Amino acid sequence: MTVIDNNDAAMNKIQKIISNKKGVIKLSLSACVHCSICSDSCFLFNSHNCDPTYTPSYKAINSIGRIYKKKGRISDDEYKEIGHLIWDKCVLCMRCYCPVGISIPILISAARSICREKGIYRTYDGNGES
Amino acid sequence: MIKAKRKPLDEIFNMVKDYSRILCVGCGACTSVCLAGGQRETEILTQELSECFSQKGQRVEFSVFVTERQCNAEYLADIEDMVKEHDCIISTACGVGVQYLAEKYESKPVFPALNTMFIGLDRDIAFFEERCRTCGNCKLGYTGGICPVTCCAKSLLNGPCSGTNADGSCEVSRDVPCAWNKIYERLKAQNRLENILPIQPPMDWIDKGPASFIQSGYEKRYRK
Repeated sequence: MTVIDNNDAAMNKIQKIISNKKGVIKLSLSACVHCSICSDSCFLFNSHNCDPTYTPSYKAINSIGRIYKKKGRISDDEYKEIGHLIWDKCVLCMRCYCPVGISIPILISAARSICREKGIYRTYDGNGES
Repeated sequence: MIKAKRKPLDEIFNMVKDYSRILCVGCGACTSVCLAGGQRETEILTQELSECFSQKGQRVEFSVFVTERQCNAEYLADIEDMVKEHDCIISTACGVGVQYLAEKYESKPVFPALNTMFIGLDRDIAFFEERCRTCGNCKLGYTGGICPVTCCAKSLLNGPCSGTNADGSCEVSRDVPCAWNKIYERLKAQNRLENILPIQPPMDWIDKGPASFIQSGYEKRYRK
């Protein structure tokens, strides 16, 4: 069963982040033509045998795209999956190139901010939530 | 990466004790990795500061936000609205992040919560060792990959001095290995001792002032 935690304080903050970034998220999601040209510029994509889940657009669509479409109301497990995608598969080096001009790092950083509000983030010492 | 350490709580509290709406801005880059200024550390800091204010009978409103990188304008834009709603900012980034915040939000007092220590390696979890002083004139190619500027107590480019103990330690402490002894031993093992025979000229200390540089190939972008 999918459990959605509706912790008000966290959800309010998440809604605020979504609302602040709504313009850029909406425009970016609709402007992406799935050309996958951005994958060429991602060193993680290239160093992981061209695994499509490392494609920058995939990471953006499956993180902030997923959160945005459901207005932040997704399960904790889904947030954890997103956390894995945006911390383990992206270092925010800002080198990804989009021919349409979408700023993928800005989208991923918005997803990270939202995950932090849910207590999901990289801790670097093996202890903690993510 | 840059390594930093949190300042004593009293010092941070003294800096912000006259403010009532405080924004704590963490950094998702180096200071998160060195366990000093990420989400968790920033939240802990606000809890501890909150306790300090409570003991003084003061009620203070805290907000926490972690930017991906405080040294990058794109990520700083995320806190623009929050900055307006607060009296001051505490930064848990390195000195660069603090200065960039202060530059971007000139009217707001910005206080550092960390002491930026050095550029170092991760020996283990939360155990870091200094390895580079960013002198801008790397000699590692001649010194067997051991930095004399960082690891020699006197930063000698033509060592060793006469202060090496018989056990290979430095005269400043038996616990500190003599960098030049290590350089000698490593080059000897690699049969490259001739690397340290020529006298090295004095260092051009280009990082004495605030330096800036443009990566090779990008000059046109910034030419006026």
